[in-house]
Amino acid sequence: MRLRVFVAVALTAALGVVAATASASVDRHQANKITVWLQVDAQSGWPDVVAAANTQFQADHPGYSVDVQYQNWGDHLQKFDATLAAGNTPDVIEMGNTEMTKYMAAGAFADLTSLKGTFANSSNWLAGLAKSGMYGGKVYGVPYYAGSRVVTYRTDLFKKAGITKAPTSLSQFLSDAKLLAAKNKQKGFSPVYIAGTDWYFAMSFVYDFGGQIAATSHGKWVGTLDSPQAIAGLTAYKSFWKAVSKASPTTDENTPPPYNVYSQGLASAIVGPSWFSCCTGKTFTSITGQFVMPSHVAGKSIPGFLGGSDLAVPASSGNKALGADWIKDFTSTANEKLLQAKGNIPNATSLLGNSVNERAAARSWFVPAAKHWVDVENGNILRNMLAQILTGKQSVKQAAENASSNIALVLNQP
Amino acid sequence: MAERVVIAAETTWSRRRRRLTWGRVARGSVPYWLILPVLGAIGAILGYPLYRLFRLAFQHYGLEELIRHSGQPVGLHNFGHVLHDQIFWHTLVRTVIFTVANVGLTMGIGTLIALLLVRVSTVVRVLLTAGLVLVWSMPVVVAVQVWGWMTNYQNGVVNYILTELHFGDYFQHNWYGSTFSQLAIVTTLIVWGALPFVAITVFAALAQVPADLVEAAQIDGAPPWRVFLDVTVPIIRPVLLILTSLSIVWDFGVFVQPYLLIGQTHITPGNYLMGIYLFEKGYFDNDYGQGAAISILMLLIVATLSIFYVRKMVRIGDVD
Amino acid sequence: MVFPVFWMISSAFKPTDQINSFTPTWFSRHPTVSHFTTAVHTPYFWTDVKNTLIIVSVTVTVSIALAFLAAVALAKYRFTGRKLFIVLVIGIQMLPGAGLIIPLYVTLASYHLVNTLTGVIVTYMTIVLPFSVWTLRGFILGIPKELEEAAMVDGSTRLGAFVRILLPLVAPGLVATSVFAFIQAWNEYLYARIILASQGKQTITVWLSYFLGTSRSTDWGALMAGSTLTAIPAVVFFLIVQRRIAFGLTAGAVRG
Repeated sequence: MRLRVFVAVALTAALGVVAATASASVDRHQANKITVWLQVDAQSGWPDVVAAANTQFQADHPGYSVDVQYQNWGDHLQKFDATLAAGNTPDVIEMGNTEMTKYMAAGAFADLTSLKGTFANSSNWLAGLAKSGMYGGKVYGVPYYAGSRVVTYRTDLFKKAGITKAPTSLSQFLSDAKLLAAKNKQKGFSPVYIAGTDWYFAMSFVYDFGGQIAATSHGKWVGTLDSPQAIAGLTAYKSFWKAVSKASPTTDENTPPPYNVYSQGLASAIVGPSWFSCCTGKTFTSITGQFVMPSHVAGKSIPGFLGGSDLAVPASSGNKALGADWIKDFTSTANEKLLQAKGNIPNATSLLGNSVNERAAARSWFVPAAKHWVDVENGNILRNMLAQILTGKQSVKQAAENASSNIALVLNQP
Repeated sequence: MAERVVIAAETTWSRRRRRLTWGRVARGSVPYWLILPVLGAIGAILGYPLYRLFRLAFQHYGLEELIRHSGQPVGLHNFGHVLHDQIFWHTLVRTVIFTVANVGLTMGIGTLIALLLVRVSTVVRVLLTAGLVLVWSMPVVVAVQVWGWMTNYQNGVVNYILTELHFGDYFQHNWYGSTFSQLAIVTTLIVWGALPFVAITVFAALAQVPADLVEAAQIDGAPPWRVFLDVTVPIIRPVLLILTSLSIVWDFGVFVQPYLLIGQTHITPGNYLMGIYLFEKGYFDNDYGQGAAISILMLLIVATLSIFYVRKMVRIGDVD
Repeated sequence: MVFPVFWMISSAFKPTDQINSFTPTWFSRHPTVSHFTTAVHTPYFWTDVKNTLIIVSVTVTVSIALAFLAAVALAKYRFTGRKLFIVLVIGIQMLPGAGLIIPLYVTLASYHLVNTLTGVIVTYMTIVLPFSVWTLRGFILGIPKELEEAAMVDGSTRLGAFVRILLPLVAPGLVATSVFAFIQAWNEYLYARIILASQGKQTITVWLSYFLGTSRSTDWGALMAGSTLTAIPAVVFFLIVQRRIAFGLTAGAVRG
């Protein structure tokens, strides 16, 4: 018995030493290395772009290596906060465009204004993305890529319902949806499946009718969802949603993913990023198409939310110049074209093509450039407002007024 | 048994050693040497973080301060802010009720399963314990995904089964529509995940109950539940107390399951639990000072909740 | 009870369209191992398995050994500072883990233990030690006094007797606590995620989270297959040691 215990302890000690030396030998301070944080989308979606950037970087800086560490959207900010506290931040970090302002205001990033000219196509950067990377007149983030929202639809079901071309106005779309509902009466079928609290889509209506989420007045933020235009937009959204979607009014656009509903044949159209076409299921891939979501004004597209990412260099990095250089290599024209080929919107207007995705970005809206905007998102203020409106628990006006005052409260925090 | 012979031999050997005087001194310091490794390990790693946490609670420390590595002292402002927050009190009440429900169900059902394990044949026992360990070994992150998927209102298998078994029309029933429903599903998930630990640990404790004591009581004609209460429970009481106190601590501060299952997009002040409240206020809002204050308050509250069980545990050890 | 586990395993073998289908399939008629192949061939799978095994075995062995010693001290000795030690052990567990993340990370960074397996091991030890000490103390206290006194009569030193007599008697408790420590360490996600950055150094739970992290579709099949694979070592470990618990049961009956 004693011998067994002794052996167990010795083995453990040995393993412990192995672990320690294994980590230590790899982690010996590598002076010639930069660390890059990208989201997992890059790892699964366009690893060739990353590889191209690394090759170019290593050609320009011989002896240097690039350690790309992939992050999840869910916790990458908490990890970043930890490195900020400890002082061992990465040299380049990918940030969502709505996440930028808070960190720029806190001084987390290095000022890249003087280097702006070195980035490819920087004079033509997409307005929505470029704005998200600027604070106090200085450039902190380099636009990486964007995505907007389109309608993905079943060509066969549309044909069967007698719809010959994509609707060019909201009212047209509404009547098309009624035709689709008449021809598809199975339980749980939505002519257009839209998650109730999909605020990215709902706010498009607000902006389409000339409203906005919030604005500054005398240096303070004011919630503007209770303005007549915004209320008109929200009312339009409510009637559209009630007519076309059988989703639960409190669900969000991730559970279930709309393309799952689509692949089960329970929706003839879904609204979302253009890459939704990847996952429509084997049966429907060949009979799926996309068109731009129309505005209530005939002939125009509804302003779409321009989602996207920026690349920034943390201020406490020891390799700021090298980080900026890597970003330059990553966002080169050639690489942006590769990203475009994968279904993304490239970062400059001079590169824009004519895909549905890119046409939808012609009219776009963006969230208020406020330090605490992220807190509004995290507090689910807009989602709750939509849930109240769609379940009928509150009138549009009531819900909008509540949300407006909440938003002002959050945005005006010190 | 062979071990008995070995023990006898070794005791005579050590008796000779006892003559050394430093042996007697060393004996007095024995307990301190025994706890030193644990103290050292915990102190080296948690010492500074704990100190930092307490300091943070009295500072204003947001994202800017995090980057600058320095905060401004604000005395009790953080605590005052939390204690004046209505949401804090509502969350506290909700969490206490939640904890009572979870701990009660876990301990009750877990003990029943352990009793069952004692009574069945070896083959069945191995199968049952293997099943328990399978449940236990599912990583929490995965268990949440599977449960979330099963209770999905669109394609969840739970809705399908309930409708097929004619319990009612559960077609596209949204299990996350109301706070009660959300927390009920979270409770089911947590109890499900906690049962194996309780069942197996209580089973191990039951293994230490001498069978002859139980037999003697049974021969005396006592009914099974009396035997359980009078003979078994006193012996396994330390373990039961420990499990209850541990369960209270864990269930009160639980974070991963409710956060992932309900989902960030459905978390509102109306369904906060304390663990989530801490995360939202401390991390999402980047107000680390407030987060630290909430952590300390949680510590005090949990200590109060479990004091009954903890004191009993400590007293049992004192009756020596 | 076991249904979610069954669901996970059976889904791992289903073709993707059956997984996403709105009408569930219990047993797929066309089972496939393609998800397992995908999972195993995902980069760093075997590396992360190795990392997790190292972390968990070192954590559990060292923690149980240290915890046993401390538990003996708490259960069998009266010494000044005993109450304080108990308060410390319990108090640490009562602190919400989420609250300590950033201070802990900063501390580990100052020891240069960030992004190392050692850093995770020592962190896990602080998680595992308190409840192990607490639980083992309970098991030790549960041992009937007659058995200890039998050894005392032989005149051996108190510590020696305790260790030699106690170990076999408390074996079921040791095993149960080790199993729990093992699973706690095996399943831990939050700290591993924050401390370990490079993909070659991560644990299997972090590896699993990559299937969920993209803003694109979740590969459920691969996730279920990966999860099934990660559950296996815990089950194996338990099956190996479960005999000890049963042994304790019969030994208790014999010893009388």
